[in-house]
Amino acid sequence: MRFGKGHAIGVALAAAAIALAPVLITNGFYLKVLFLIGVNYLAAAGLNVLVGHTGQKSLGHAGLFAVGAYTAALLTARLGWNPWLAFVAAGAMAALFGVLIALPALRVRGPALAMVTIGFGIVVEKVVSEWQDLFGGQAGIYGVVPPSIGGSALNDGQWVWFVGALGIVAHLTIRALLRGKYGRAFMAVNTAEVAAESVGVSVYRFKVLAFVISAVTCGLAGALIAQQNQYINSDFINFNLSIFFLLIVLFGGSSVYGPLVGAVVLTLLDAFLARWPTAQHFTYGALLLFALYAMPDGLSGALGRLAKKLVPALARKPALPAPTTGWKLRATERLAADKPLLQTRAVYKAYGGVVPTNNIDMDIKTGHIHSLIGPNGAGKTTLLNILSGIVPPDRGSIEFAGRSIVHMVPNRICAIGLGRTFQNLKLFADMSVLDNVKVGLHRHMRSGFWSCLLGLPNAQRDERAARDEALQILDFLGLLDKADEVAGSLPYGLQRRLELARALATHPRLLLLDEPAAGLNPQETQDLVGVIAKIRDLGVTVLLIEHHMDLVMAISDHVIVLDYGEKIAEGKPAEVQNNPRVITAYLGTDEPDEDDLELEASHG
Amino acid sequence: MPSVHRFAKLAVAGAIAGSLWAGAAYAQDIKIGYTADQSASGVAELGIAGRWGFEAAIEDINKAGGIMGRKVVGVIRDDQGTPPKAIQNMTELIDAEKVHAVVGPANSGNALAWLHLPQQKKIPVVVPIGTATEITTRYAKEPQNYLFRVSMVDREQVALLGAYAVKASKDKKIAILADSTGYGQGGIKDATDILALHGVTPVATEKYGPKDTDITSQLSKIKAAGADTVIIYGIADGTAQVLRSMEKINYMPVTLGTWGNLSSLLPKMAGEKLSEHLILAASTTEDTNARTKALGERVRKNFPTLTTFPCSAQAYDSVMLLAAAMKLANSTDGEKVAAALENVTGVEGVIKTYNKPFTKTAHEGLSVADFYLARWKNGAPVRYEDQFTKALTPADLKK
Amino acid sequence: MGASLLQAVFSGLALGSIYALVALGFNITHNTTKTFNFGQGEFLVAGAYVAVSAVLLLAGKPISGALSEIEVTPGRYFAALIVSIVVLGALGVLLYHAAVKPFVGQGGLAWVMSTIGFGIIIQNTALAIWGPAPLVMPSPLGNQVIRIGGAGVLPQEILVLVASILVMACLDFVMRKTKIGKAVRAVAHSGPAATLMGINVSAIVVLAFVISSALAGLAGLLIAPITTASVFMGLTLALKAFSAAIVGGLNNARGCMLGGFLLGLIEALVGLWQAELREISIFLLIILVLVLKPEGLLGRRMVEKV
Repeated sequence: MRFGKGHAIGVALAAAAIALAPVLITNGFYLKVLFLIGVNYLAAAGLNVLVGHTGQKSLGHAGLFAVGAYTAALLTARLGWNPWLAFVAAGAMAALFGVLIALPALRVRGPALAMVTIGFGIVVEKVVSEWQDLFGGQAGIYGVVPPSIGGSALNDGQWVWFVGALGIVAHLTIRALLRGKYGRAFMAVNTAEVAAESVGVSVYRFKVLAFVISAVTCGLAGALIAQQNQYINSDFINFNLSIFFLLIVLFGGSSVYGPLVGAVVLTLLDAFLARWPTAQHFTYGALLLFALYAMPDGLSGALGRLAKKLVPALARKPALPAPTTGWKLRATERLAADKPLLQTRAVYKAYGGVVPTNNIDMDIKTGHIHSLIGPNGAGKTTLLNILSGIVPPDRGSIEFAGRSIVHMVPNRICAIGLGRTFQNLKLFADMSVLDNVKVGLHRHMRSGFWSCLLGLPNAQRDERAARDEALQILDFLGLLDKADEVAGSLPYGLQRRLELARALATHPRLLLLDEPAAGLNPQETQDLVGVIAKIRDLGVTVLLIEHHMDLVMAISDHVIVLDYGEKIAEGKPAEVQNNPRVITAYLGTDEPDEDDLELEASHG
Repeated sequence: MPSVHRFAKLAVAGAIAGSLWAGAAYAQDIKIGYTADQSASGVAELGIAGRWGFEAAIEDINKAGGIMGRKVVGVIRDDQGTPPKAIQNMTELIDAEKVHAVVGPANSGNALAWLHLPQQKKIPVVVPIGTATEITTRYAKEPQNYLFRVSMVDREQVALLGAYAVKASKDKKIAILADSTGYGQGGIKDATDILALHGVTPVATEKYGPKDTDITSQLSKIKAAGADTVIIYGIADGTAQVLRSMEKINYMPVTLGTWGNLSSLLPKMAGEKLSEHLILAASTTEDTNARTKALGERVRKNFPTLTTFPCSAQAYDSVMLLAAAMKLANSTDGEKVAAALENVTGVEGVIKTYNKPFTKTAHEGLSVADFYLARWKNGAPVRYEDQFTKALTPADLKK
Repeated sequence: MGASLLQAVFSGLALGSIYALVALGFNITHNTTKTFNFGQGEFLVAGAYVAVSAVLLLAGKPISGALSEIEVTPGRYFAALIVSIVVLGALGVLLYHAAVKPFVGQGGLAWVMSTIGFGIIIQNTALAIWGPAPLVMPSPLGNQVIRIGGAGVLPQEILVLVASILVMACLDFVMRKTKIGKAVRAVAHSGPAATLMGINVSAIVVLAFVISSALAGLAGLLIAPITTASVFMGLTLALKAFSAAIVGGLNNARGCMLGGFLLGLIEALVGLWQAELREISIFLLIILVLVLKPEGLLGRRMVEKV
């Protein structure tokens, strides 16, 4: 993670501008407008992490603004706290409420998520306006004490400095966070939750974290407003405020500069069009109506593209170092050779009358390649979903490396060494190929939240090591030259390979592959045989579901056959191929199956 | 389609340029600011009425040669009924527009939010509409209080209503029903205090939301407490819903209301028959005298749907008093004008002629002596008289 | 107490039927396009104002005039209803093309913002034409309180209830039994599949928005005589109707209707007990329901294929 020279200059310039502004501008109104830009920026910067990056659309953040504002107000006006401490406490209180709103929000998505956040915002709004004994209702709370320096309260200029400093800190920390493993994890949760879990990213924890970050910045924004006005009342808190914050984020765009341009434009519009209220309202409405159509990735996206066109140097990505060594699997403790790596006993799952998994006993031996075959609807993917923790079994035991993994969360199952790929590709399509693999390395990057937030040297080291390792993995799978491309733009076969790379990055002991050859042409299928063999040679045990019989026969040490949820046969490939029960259920020797026909057609 | 964002940027640039240019042009003129809700809620009716009274006054002053030979310019802002906007407007008026005085606002809550600004920056303010008592009393102990008012201040209104209620109620069982806005909140406080001066404690105090349509539950509780007299604290549309709810549960106690019910919305929304039931505090109506009539017609040219005429009259008179003070002080300096306001006399407004309306300790242009009880009859407010009003003496008007 | 309870039930059902009407509008557009009109509240306002203006014009007065009770005859009211529905339907078409069509199919919140923006423009247009004063619309059935079992009920409240139920029953019938209803449901399941069956998907989608907007307009017109109608009344009503739809199940028409009535009833009953806690209790309840059953009471769980 490098501190780009251009970026450093930009930050220095901004700091200089903020420092000079109160000196050059004496008009109190303009200074207050600058202050307001800062406050709106702060709120939007955190909200951008939640909405723009983690994809959780919240329409209730006015509630968190209220929490911060009233905490600061009550602590200083009623309890006589030191205003600086009260300011910090406001942020802490808002963080708590961020967890509160996150918990119900975890369980819902789409319109229901919007509803939960709206509900939260309205409940807070009503509580502060109706509980008049505590919050003062519309009459509000007077005598909110602002922070002071040298005995006197901050003046207009000093407020600009204060909010400017906060803004720069927020920008630097959030940018550091988003450029590293946390930012990738947020995007992963946004794009494909199930896939994120399967590579060790705890969706639950990251959603809560995103809510908390947005809550803290909104809460601090509220405290700033309350303390600067020395007054707060329930009129400050309404649904339109939530929409306004959201608009700043959406209008500005999800890039890290989005909240800044959004806050600047919208605050100035609001302040300077105030003398023509009709024009102001219509402009606001038109902005909401057309802006996202004209600029789908916001103003910062449009400006960024413009800048790259004018200054091509900005579009060039830094060169990636070539990997020097081959990739090796991380050493894990050896299991006794006779103990199975994965063992299931009597695993059972039913959906109403349908039983896709009916008392399955299975042993997966370390270092072997196992295949799971069976007709469509036999329950193969269900079994894989049960093993990887996405679906809980009704009954039965599953032991992986000697531990029971029943009812374990998927990201934990990944952490102890069970990785997987998906039948319907679940790549993080908007991220680069390299970043996709880096998400797979998430669990193995040891730097914690604070190191990443502050951009400490150990976090930077971690990032460099992750980049190098990810490049090794890509090299291992022949994807090195595509490292900087957007994952969704790759041809289908390479996308499948990328998902494989991502799963490998989790350093699995057992890798579950769900129809890895689906949609591949015969040449690609042939290549896949070699790839799986290489993976086995690295030390990874493989269990794959497949319909392509040539692949199964060529690569497997052991084949398990399912039909209608039951295991009907298992053994070496040749044994299974000749098993009459299997033939009846599945192989059907009289009619050539489509794969043979295809092969003939392509060879003929 | 980058044109949208280009448009937005141009608009912003244009607005900044425009405001800077506008600021420079009026260096010699006397600027008086007006800030009130004109677009965001029911209170906008009052804010707009006030605005046209304000503009009419400025027109008249300029026709008569201005103040000290200088032209008077009104700087109008809409505070959209919210404190953040109201505070921003005040900051803009004082710091950017550099007004010499301010008339406004309509919402008491907004005034309470920005009071400290004109007080700190020494800009005199005359409030034409907002009635919360605290507006003119908060800085009463300072060497100079910059907040004045020409409106039906809550304390005085409630003194009149309270006096009547105490006389009219059989067992002194009086209830207060207020809306949940800052206006209602202040009203509860004033009403409870004044009733206490009469030795009466309200048997019930209930609140309703300003947009509520069903107040039957609160009224049932008041009825259950045995109240035979109710003081309603809210504006016309809320009061109309209260009256309709009363009719629904067949509970018609003696009902008193504040000046906000002078709005023609009340008979329209509650119906003529029901609106007659309400006894309200009033001071000025369009037919008070020839001047008010003329002003009413004038305002209607710009605002044909005028509903609350008193606001226009009060705003007009506010400007007149400011002009007189500036003439008396022979200056536009805030401190001098504020001091002069406390000494002006013989100022002709549309409501009345003001003879030493303000003193060092009293900043209210209108007092209970200017108020009377009224009710709606045949679509117009008329003075209300019954045996209780006749029995009222000045001593009863405890405040 | 019994009379107050009955009172609350009546008002609750009347208000709830309004929520149900608007919620149904949300259901229809969401089913067909996965979007809905976040500015639906402003459509309610437009419906009320257009209707009042229509009655005024029919009575020979200017649109900024005031209505008295006798001028609102049932005939004029019904004519105003037709006018209102037609105008709102047209607005719905405009809304679809300006605010929804550019964003259908994309994830994200763009359509939320654009429909809110459209609503703001409508609100300010109404403000510019009619001003901020509350709207006075006397009921065509008069203001005489009817006593039923000791409870006072306004004739308009009964009209609201009856009219809403009639409209909802009609829509329910159309959706389930007629060809066009089947077409709408087909589009709701899968646009591409419906096209292959020869259904004109874009026409159906536009129809969905026309119906949804017309419902909002109807709701506005029905509620105006009872409530303090003004250009500002839209947001609260729309939010509550939206909540009703989500609680009942956004993808289930009957769920939306159920949600509306339920919400109206709970609001009235809680209001009876403690008026200040009305909205707080409703929204807390909604959050609770969503936590326990994210797809709503009658909604279908959308299973993601893994």
